[in-house]
Amino acid sequence: MSNQKKRNFQIEAFKHRVVVDPKYAEKTWKILEHAIHEIYNHNASGLSFEELYRNAYNMVLHKFGEKLYSGLVTTMTAHLKEISKSIEAAQGDLFLEELNRKWNDHNKALQMIRDILMYMDRTYIPNSRKTPVYELGLNLWRDNIIHSGKIQSRLLSTLLELVHRERTGEVIDRGLMRNTIKMLMDLGSSVYQDDFEKPFLEVSAEFYKVESQKFIECCDCGDYLKKAEIRLNEEIERIAHYLDVKSEAKITNVVEKEMIANHMTRLVHMENSGLVNMLLDDKYEDLGRMYNLFKRVPNGLSMIRDVMTSHLRETGKQLVTDAESSKDPVEFVQRLLDERDKYDKIICQAFSNAKTFQNALNSSFEYFINLNSRSPEFISLFVDDKLRKGLKGVSEEDVEIILDKVMMLFRYLQEKDVFEKYYKQHLAKRLLSGKTVSDDAERSLIVKLKTECGYQFTSKLEGMFTDMKTSQDTMQGFYANHPELAEGPTLVVQVLTTGSWPTQPTITCNLPTEMAALCEKFRSHYLGTHTGRRLSWQTNMGTADIKATFGKGQKHELNVSTYQMCVLMLFNNADRLSYKEIEQATEIPASDLKRCLQSMACVKGKNVLRKEPMSKDIGTDDAFFVNDKFTSKFYKVKIGTVVAQKESEPEKLETRQRVEEDRKPQIEAAIVRIMKSRRVLDHNNVIAEVTKQLQSRFLANPTEIKKRIESLIEREFLERDSDDRKLYRYLA
Amino acid sequence: MPPRASKRKSVPPNSSTVTSSDGRSVSNKAKTKGMEKIDRLFNTYANSSLGMIDPEGIEALCADLGVDYTDVRILMLAWKLKSEKQGYFTREEWQTGLKALGVDSLSKLKKALPELEKEVEKPSNYEDFYTYAFRYCLTEEKQKSVDIESICELLNLVLGVQFRPQVDSLVEYLKIQNDYKVINADQWINFLRFCKEISFPDLRNYDANQAWPLILDNFVEWMREKQS
Repeated sequence: MSNQKKRNFQIEAFKHRVVVDPKYAEKTWKILEHAIHEIYNHNASGLSFEELYRNAYNMVLHKFGEKLYSGLVTTMTAHLKEISKSIEAAQGDLFLEELNRKWNDHNKALQMIRDILMYMDRTYIPNSRKTPVYELGLNLWRDNIIHSGKIQSRLLSTLLELVHRERTGEVIDRGLMRNTIKMLMDLGSSVYQDDFEKPFLEVSAEFYKVESQKFIECCDCGDYLKKAEIRLNEEIERIAHYLDVKSEAKITNVVEKEMIANHMTRLVHMENSGLVNMLLDDKYEDLGRMYNLFKRVPNGLSMIRDVMTSHLRETGKQLVTDAESSKDPVEFVQRLLDERDKYDKIICQAFSNAKTFQNALNSSFEYFINLNSRSPEFISLFVDDKLRKGLKGVSEEDVEIILDKVMMLFRYLQEKDVFEKYYKQHLAKRLLSGKTVSDDAERSLIVKLKTECGYQFTSKLEGMFTDMKTSQDTMQGFYANHPELAEGPTLVVQVLTTGSWPTQPTITCNLPTEMAALCEKFRSHYLGTHTGRRLSWQTNMGTADIKATFGKGQKHELNVSTYQMCVLMLFNNADRLSYKEIEQATEIPASDLKRCLQSMACVKGKNVLRKEPMSKDIGTDDAFFVNDKFTSKFYKVKIGTVVAQKESEPEKLETRQRVEEDRKPQIEAAIVRIMKSRRVLDHNNVIAEVTKQLQSRFLANPTEIKKRIESLIEREFLERDSDDRKLYRYLA
Repeated sequence: MPPRASKRKSVPPNSSTVTSSDGRSVSNKAKTKGMEKIDRLFNTYANSSLGMIDPEGIEALCADLGVDYTDVRILMLAWKLKSEKQGYFTREEWQTGLKALGVDSLSKLKKALPELEKEVEKPSNYEDFYTYAFRYCLTEEKQKSVDIESICELLNLVLGVQFRPQVDSLVEYLKIQNDYKVINADQWINFLRFCKEISFPDLRNYDANQAWPLILDNFVEWMREKQS
């Protein structure tokens, strides 16, 4: 009935029955375990992801994470052990395939398992610092498969075998390789390195050691390098296709070491095909290949450079000290230029224009060009030849190119002051004989020399040009003032300023009366406008054009030297003249006279004079006649031009002596300059500073510098320090 | 030194007699008594018309001292006297010098010679003496160098005792080389430095790149060639 006590009606939250049922964990685990089995057996489709996830979630929530995790480990391990057996059972080539297949399976399974156990991955595992599921899966794979006794070594040897087969030319399954290697990489870099890379590098080293030895015995240098290059490229390609990119540097090192570094010396010095032969034969491709390969190894390039340098120095030295080539200066210099061009091209085309090689080239040239003390003279003669005729008809740009090349050789000279002396001499002759091909080319070269050596070097040379121009104006003025002379012989005078032109001994001779009078008139005219100056006629340097009529009426215009003119004019008043008579009348010095007569009497085609006896040499008892039978195809006949020639021995000695004499004041000036600014300086530093100051002109000899210092001490410009004998003091 | 008024020609004095005080100096520099004795001694040897001791007088002095006139001790005496002109002693030089020596008679002078030697050989004096020896040979005005022959003799005289082997080799070299016909002061002083500093005869510590005069560079080269 309703008289009973009212009970409070409480609404309680609906509680699931929390069953802390020990069997709960076990039951749930069994579900999951079963799922894992199914996954591994490719039966995952029948599973419910949601249900499994929930089960795992619950286990963790109810604090059974530990059981779950350890169960996972056990189950997975068990599976892997079976998998391992099946892989081991695979025969021959199928081994790798099987491994790959199982790996893929494992990966897929692992992903699914991880997804299912994601809650554990995110909570229990970090809290208990256990390895996350995915990583765990990889580790287990690594420990149970890869490092399993039966698989580990077989895997490695299979991989290496395949690489070896590919190296020997077989085609292998690169995809398979790639996947396998990727697997190792995924398992961790230490796995890749220890289980593959290290042994791979060792085996490769061995392989290339053997191969390089084989090649070097049977190949020449060029072929060997080709092969090495091929191998190197192969390895790089291999990396790209199926190995870890980080291995590239390591394997290329191996190849470089085994194939190149170990055989470098032998390759370079290989007879008939080594570096020197390649250089000689201009084998640009081979040289380029060598350069690129050797660049990769330590000291490779410096070895090439050293061999090239010593070879170049050797050839250069031979070129320069060869007696034959010294006979023709133009040839001598041309060969130097050719040699330089050759190496320039090699460095440009094969050695990628590397600065260090350029420097080696320059220092080699500097070395051997100075071995021949006549180099400065020869270079000047070369330039002389070019400016006289060599550059005729050559375009302006080409002229510049040739002159620039000559300047390059000039820069190598240590004794630039010797060059200056010769250049002055040769230039003087060119200017005075009017034999220069292009005024522009002359000036262009002067400008280049000025840029190189400074104003002082070229100021006198420019003075010479100025004199030429001034003389033209003077002549015009002369004839303008003396219109009555227009009918007589035409006089052209070049007035040379003594300091600018090379010193000449002044020898005069007796000019024919007509000329003598004319010259006097000029002298008075000139001195009239330029008081205080002194003129001396340089009859040894002049030329003359005279018209001659011979026995049968042949008329010719003869272009002769002043001396020759004097001799010929004598025959206007005499038919026969003895040597002695000629000598007396003209007062030309004996050696010059003999040469002069020889050129007119003994040279075919120029024999305007006849000599009795008909011998080749001029004797003091000879007699001379006009050669009435003289013929020539040309109306204008040129006899005896004053050409710049290679100096004879005594002339050479004289020039050299003059150069030495000129150097003394220069050295003293340098010493005084230095001491004046430093006041006190020790001996070695004085020598060093003086050498440096004079470097652009010549290489100062320490002994010579010492002599000059002693001379300055004697003349009381300097003194030695009383306490420290090594010091010098400037005495103001 | 003003010439003496007397026209009496000088007579080379005999061994030990001193001429009478005819030769009393007109100069008023001889003041003290000690100076008198020194003065008297001077007059014994002096050339009366010149007013100073000339080469003959020196020769006589040497004979009295029992010393050869080419002996180095005479050079040392000249140094002590600070004599300017070779072969001559002026009155002042004589007076100052003998006073510095603390002697006023011939016998005392004779006794003082060994001490003089020791004094010269003192390192502080030696270089000065050495340089003096060279200067003493510059007989002409503005002369700056001395001919090789004389240099060789001088080397023998001055360095011969202390550096015999060096001097012998150097003299031999100087006589046969052609680069230098005379030696200047700079080269002279460096001869001494060479003897003092360079080990001989191996020449081990000679460095031609140092500031030695060229003549010594050449000498060393010549020695080394000879030795090989």
